[in-house]
Amino acid sequence: MIIEIGHYALVLALATALIVSVLPVIGARRGDAAMMALAPTGSLVLFALVAFSFGVLTWAYVVSDFSVANVWENSHSLMPLIYKYSGVWGNHEGSMLLWLLILVFFSALVAVFGRNLPDTLRANVLAVQAWISTAFLFFILLTSNPFLRLDPAPAEGQDLNPVLQDFGLAVHPPLLYLGYVGFSVCFSFAVAALIEGRIDAAWARWVRPWTLAAWTFLTAGIAMGSYWAYYELGWGGWWFWDPVENASFMPWLAGTALLHSALVMEKREALKIWTVLLAIMTFSLSLLGTFLVRSGVLTSVHSFATDPTRGIFILCILGIFIGGAFVLFAWRAPMLKAGGIFAPISREGALVLNNLILTVATATVLTGTLYPLILETLTGEKISVGAPFFNMTFGLLMLPLLVAVPFGPVLAWKRGDLLGALQRLYVFAGLALAAGLIFFYIQNGGPVLAIFGLVLGFWGMIGAFADLWYRANFAKVGLSVGLKRLTGLPRSVFGTAIAHFGLGVTVLGIFAATTFGTETVVEMKQGASVDVGGYSLTYDGLRDAVGPNYTEQRGHFAVSRGGVQVADVWSSKRLYTARRMPTTEAGILTFGLSQLYVSLGDAMDSGGMVVRIWWKPFILCIWGGALVMMFGGFVSLSDRRLRVGAPSRKVKPIKATLEAAE
Amino acid sequence: MQYWATMVLWIILAALTAAVAAILILPFARATKAASADRAGEVAVYRDQLAELDRDRAQGLINAEEAEYARAEIGRRLLAAAGAGEGKEIAAPKARKHALATAVVTLVPPLVGLCLYLALGNPGMPDQPLEARLANPGNNVALLVAKAERHLAENPNDGAGWDLLAPIYFRSMRLGDAELAYRNAIRILGPNPLRLAGLGETLVASNDGIVTEDARAAFEQAMKLDPDNPRSRFYVGLGFEQAGRAAEARAQFEAIAKGSPPDAPWMQLVNQHIAKNGGTVAAGQDTAQAPGNPSQADVAAAESLSQGDRQAMIRGMVDSLAERLKQEPNNLEGWVRLVRSYAVLGDKPKAEEALKSGLKQFPSSGELVALAHEMGLAVEGVAQ
Repeated sequence: MIIEIGHYALVLALATALIVSVLPVIGARRGDAAMMALAPTGSLVLFALVAFSFGVLTWAYVVSDFSVANVWENSHSLMPLIYKYSGVWGNHEGSMLLWLLILVFFSALVAVFGRNLPDTLRANVLAVQAWISTAFLFFILLTSNPFLRLDPAPAEGQDLNPVLQDFGLAVHPPLLYLGYVGFSVCFSFAVAALIEGRIDAAWARWVRPWTLAAWTFLTAGIAMGSYWAYYELGWGGWWFWDPVENASFMPWLAGTALLHSALVMEKREALKIWTVLLAIMTFSLSLLGTFLVRSGVLTSVHSFATDPTRGIFILCILGIFIGGAFVLFAWRAPMLKAGGIFAPISREGALVLNNLILTVATATVLTGTLYPLILETLTGEKISVGAPFFNMTFGLLMLPLLVAVPFGPVLAWKRGDLLGALQRLYVFAGLALAAGLIFFYIQNGGPVLAIFGLVLGFWGMIGAFADLWYRANFAKVGLSVGLKRLTGLPRSVFGTAIAHFGLGVTVLGIFAATTFGTETVVEMKQGASVDVGGYSLTYDGLRDAVGPNYTEQRGHFAVSRGGVQVADVWSSKRLYTARRMPTTEAGILTFGLSQLYVSLGDAMDSGGMVVRIWWKPFILCIWGGALVMMFGGFVSLSDRRLRVGAPSRKVKPIKATLEAAE
Repeated sequence: MQYWATMVLWIILAALTAAVAAILILPFARATKAASADRAGEVAVYRDQLAELDRDRAQGLINAEEAEYARAEIGRRLLAAAGAGEGKEIAAPKARKHALATAVVTLVPPLVGLCLYLALGNPGMPDQPLEARLANPGNNVALLVAKAERHLAENPNDGAGWDLLAPIYFRSMRLGDAELAYRNAIRILGPNPLRLAGLGETLVASNDGIVTEDARAAFEQAMKLDPDNPRSRFYVGLGFEQAGRAAEARAQFEAIAKGSPPDAPWMQLVNQHIAKNGGTVAAGQDTAQAPGNPSQADVAAAESLSQGDRQAMIRGMVDSLAERLKQEPNNLEGWVRLVRSYAVLGDKPKAEEALKSGLKQFPSSGELVALAHEMGLAVEGVAQ
């Protein structure tokens, strides 16, 4: 009965979404407060219904109710409890329900925290959110319904895909969806503004926190996914330019651009039309990603199952929303008033450069991702666009951007002084160069490009603090006053510095791991040793072991340095019995920020094992940097100014502000 | 009981629908006020921007002249926002009627909800959490198995449990599980003829009907413990037959015939094998059908001794092997196994066909030719 109530709640959610899609828009046109007030109320009801429905599905998983087809297909009564929870979204139907849950969650957030928004804008934003919810509710109910029943119910489930039986599944999809779907709010704001035909600096400020939140979660989600692939797949790589990865990376690039252009718009009311376009593009890329992953166009772990009706359905959703938004844009954008002007060398100019490069980079990744698919559809020819393409195009595009990052924050608004900025930064550039050279010297060896890359990394890291240094003005006012000034700075300035620092850390990790890392493939017999990255690994043979739902062969390696044993590492090949599916579990040892990565290959006739060993110096910087970026995002989100005009509506007398300025 | 549960469900669904409609109607029920074109939010944003401009100015991020321009810019926006707000607030609140809107809000949830749910839902179906079902499994074999599995997962040394489960697995064609269960039962409770024969049969079934070394060892051990067991003896004989040792095979089959009552259900089959291995069937037992008829094939022996649909199953396994070889013919071992399987199943034409294909792939394979001779298959035209 509970399951049927959950199913009905989802149907009722569709009815609610339909109402919220229509009435508030009419209300906004007619200036009807009651109809507009329906939007927040309806959005909260919508969230409550979907959350209840999601809760019911989770309950079905936890109690192993195999009369629910979805539970039977993707669960097993003996699975550890955490996988019963995470298994809810470890399949197509459940993950779409999670997608929807997060979508209506964001709508509810807008309903609650959007009290400072003008009534019409809020009504329109929530209505657009409801359009998206309606589309996905139809999709779920008609093609991917997780509440379909089985009669008679089987006695045991078919188990969750072993690759997904991992802590990563508990974290990666929710974070990624919080990012993906968070951009829907920006999209809704953009469409609402186009409907109203009015857009101004205040709009940009209202959009900022949503962009920032989505971007922060997406950063964390991508980093988490990358680390998961790194340790689970056993290939030693952390980024494969796989279409699914690209699908999540493109919204991130566009979202990063949006984050920066919204800044310009808020401060100067410039780049209005561009910002609206970016907001639409970012969410369109999220939808495209959902389509690529969910339609089964790409075959990978993420696709779970392929079903052409689903693909066509999502394609329709994609066409309606993206196409509709662009038509609306083409029609309405010329009516928007253009904003302020600025000189090429200024903060605005730097941000435009950022946007330009990020957009071109997004386009590059998009081309590299879609071209093979389109070619295969049209001619049947299969090609793969891999790392070399992306490294040449995307990599080269990123270099100037990375050089420019520290300049942005120290340039003045409207008209900046490049020479001045250079003077301000040369000390930092020198520091970065020195750090890069020292690092290179310690690691000893590697191509010339590496020095450049390392310097670039340090440049990002150290340059991030240039802005803080000059704002605090330590050089002129001394330490104590400087500290006081520093603490008085708005949090978003710190957020910027921290996020840019994180970017530098990631760049450093990428260059260090790729240039100083080593890969060794050897055939090892019991007792054989191999030297990698200054450590010596001794192979100690295979042992059989049994887990809760798998059997495995564990290879044991003793790791020593200078003749002293420092660690053990186990690397294994598993066979999950229920699905007869083999997996490899890499053995990973962490030394500081570097890692030793051991993966078992095939057994040889001679009795030896093929063993792949990677030495990955400073590899943790890659994800550590992303975590730092995420932290920067949160610091920036906590900035008081993003809550300006928040519910309290406590406004300072304008006179006081003006007096203070004099 | 079921009827009442469904009634309760419908009452809850109706209440839920009513609650949603009632909440959605709330905004209309409140005193209708005109939209306050309140732009206080915008005003606050611009005021804050002015404050920020001062901060930037103080920190030298913008010079005095630019700051003045910017201040004027923000000021204009501020005035526009404040002015617009005031202008509209003066407009007299117009009382509105929401007859249509309230109708929509009242009707859409029950209509959409009912129509879609009736099409998609299963209102009569109760929840079935596994724990509750296991507590009251009734006659559901699958549930009983699941229950036994859980019990064994917690008490893996309960030999009686494995012993009980093994033949059930075998019957439901979960051969891997059956093998494990038999082996566990033997390990814990010790070997007995029934368990050993069961293990042997499981192994034969999972090897496309071939009596492998492992299986033969199991049957032989069973025979040692209980020499009168016709089932084990039959498989031992079958193993000899498959290995081409006709005399030894015949000895086993004849021993079965001797030890069995003449009207035993398996006699027909046993006699057939005696004949096949060059023996003469005792008078009055001549009921064997022509060799080569698949319905009388060897593995069917297992049927009369154990049960029904094994034949089709083994046949299916052999066919799947043939299919596999068609796609990946570069597998000598596979061909040998296929030829042997067909021969053992008594399907001579198929066996010869498989032999031909195998020899085409491996023309110089002595193994295939030797097998052909052993099985009495024609190799003319291909052997040259």
